[in-house]
Amino acid sequence: MKNIIRALRTEHGWSQATLADQLGVSRQSVNAIETGKYDPSLPLAFAIARLFDKSIEDIFDDSTAKKLAAE
Amino acid sequence: MTQQTYKSAKKRYWRAFVPIMILYLIATLAGSAFLQTFDVEPTWLQATIALACTLPMVYYLFVQIRYFLETDEYDRLIQLKGFAIGAAITVSVIFLFGFLQMFHVIDRIEVFWFGPAFFVAYGLSTYALGGRQCLP
Repeated sequence: MKNIIRALRTEHGWSQATLADQLGVSRQSVNAIETGKYDPSLPLAFAIARLFDKSIEDIFDDSTAKKLAAE
Repeated sequence: MTQQTYKSAKKRYWRAFVPIMILYLIATLAGSAFLQTFDVEPTWLQATIALACTLPMVYYLFVQIRYFLETDEYDRLIQLKGFAIGAAITVSVIFLFGFLQMFHVIDRIEVFWFGPAFFVAYGLSTYALGGRQCLP
């Protein structure tokens, strides 16, 4: 799933390791989520949204889900 | 989800892994050396030493599964995929060697080696899936 985590992280001046520490996950997890290789669970998605003070929809692009729902 | 989930899981794993491996080495080396002091080894002693060598590995598997449960979700996914692929490869090899033995193509082989073979297959699969960082 596409997302804007990398942009938000850069905006805050954080490295992947810093963000990973704040979320309690590994740096590889942050990298996998940023590159869209891995979709986080709902609790982790909420934690990310809370950290950046945004909603999940603001961060994750759910256009595929929307398309599927419309079909 | 806590702040330290991933790091504390890794720390807990290594804190258990090192003593287990030391214990395993002592049990296997001392056990086999002790058995060599007998002309005819008593079966009960052989069985006891075999059990003493196995118990650290059983505990290691418990530690491994605990790590799967405690680490973060992405690492868990990579670990479990690696574990499943490693198990699939090992079981396939067991079947192959089993049939080769049954049809008298090869001589008997030590069943023991399938254990280390599984860990090699699991490690390599995990490495292929997630890179060096995904090894615990």
